[in-house]
Amino acid sequence: MMQNKNILLLNSQSVGMGEVSVQHNFSELDMYDFPQANLDSKIALIIQGSVDQELMLKNKEKIRKFADSGKVIVFGGHLFLPWLPGASFFVPKEVRSHKDYDISIINSHPIFEGVDTYDMTYNKGVAGFFARGHHPIPEGAEVLLTLPDHEPIVYIDRVSTDGTLLVSSGNALLNYQDPNRTTGQITSRLVEWIHNEYAQLQKRSVVQ
Amino acid sequence: MRKIAALYSGVSYQHRSWNEPKYKKFLSAILYVPELTESSFDEFDIIIVPSRLHTGLMERIKPWVRKFADNGGTVVLFWPQSSDSECVPLQNWENRPTNFWWWLDKDAKSGLELRLPEHNLFNYLTLEDATWHYHGVFWPPAGAEVLVTTEDNGAILYVDKVSSAGTWVVTSLDPEFHYGSYFMPATERFLDGFFPWLAEGEH
Repeated sequence: MMQNKNILLLNSQSVGMGEVSVQHNFSELDMYDFPQANLDSKIALIIQGSVDQELMLKNKEKIRKFADSGKVIVFGGHLFLPWLPGASFFVPKEVRSHKDYDISIINSHPIFEGVDTYDMTYNKGVAGFFARGHHPIPEGAEVLLTLPDHEPIVYIDRVSTDGTLLVSSGNALLNYQDPNRTTGQITSRLVEWIHNEYAQLQKRSVVQ
Repeated sequence: MRKIAALYSGVSYQHRSWNEPKYKKFLSAILYVPELTESSFDEFDIIIVPSRLHTGLMERIKPWVRKFADNGGTVVLFWPQSSDSECVPLQNWENRPTNFWWWLDKDAKSGLELRLPEHNLFNYLTLEDATWHYHGVFWPPAGAEVLVTTEDNGAILYVDKVSSAGTWVVTSLDPEFHYGSYFMPATERFLDGFFPWLAEGEH
């Protein structure tokens, strides 16, 4: 596994959705230590759905500054407070049938290459494990995954800050490591994507 | 109606559950946990401690929660997530592997049983409303009223009036997490019955 100490995972000290038994080698920080933390050596920040959003709101400027310094933020969860640049509040899906949860890859992307979206939508034949709603996107964002009525459930935003945000209305994509499923590579590809994206952002800031 | 406060740590699922109008009408206050002080619970009859609370926050408020019960208050505790944070006196938590899939089996059986069908809570909700997966069981002290158990008598939901001057309503279920995360319909039926029972029922 790649060394990922320069990626910081905010720890909520809580067992939330898709956060169970995640294997990783990121740096970790208790979320309540975030206000005092020095983030200079970090290239990316991963924030999960069980985060204290009141705390995030109080640290909104710090989060924006981090992105604006040409860095990457990954968030997966349900936003209900305005702390993530460019992002809107979570809109739950009105569900009439399990098909309403079906995920489509709308724009091919290395993170989801070779993934059978059935494996994201269903677990043992039960639907709805990934996303049960969406966050409306900022203009110019790149949508990767959608629900059947085109609701964007994973998007990449390179317009709202001088960095890059990956926003998911499901989980933060950290728990896809089962080699027996087509989804098994998602987590390692996400990490690879973070490194590449950071390298691109740095190149861009040198050119400017 | 009793004065109920729900604890809240800024998490989306708590936010949805506590602010849903049909539940919020039973709440006198939603208290943000990082800002709690020793006297925050004084004016309430009941406090609800949500499941999966950040372990550091739980450690900090634990003595105040216990004091509240010792002074006669009622504490409701949803799945406390970790045996490290033994908030409840004499709870004797036992972790159990969670079977998220029991209802897909051929002879679907959740393994949950009703122990005290005459208890007032069951005028408000049924065993089915309390049936989804669970993360472990409690072995509460003698004298506690055990309402829902596993087949081998581990407590899933119990009411303890013997460990303190007040009342502990303790369950390994986590309805506010699932309802607040927009899945698992039984959890909504559970909360639909549980809130009115808390506010007006006999316990």
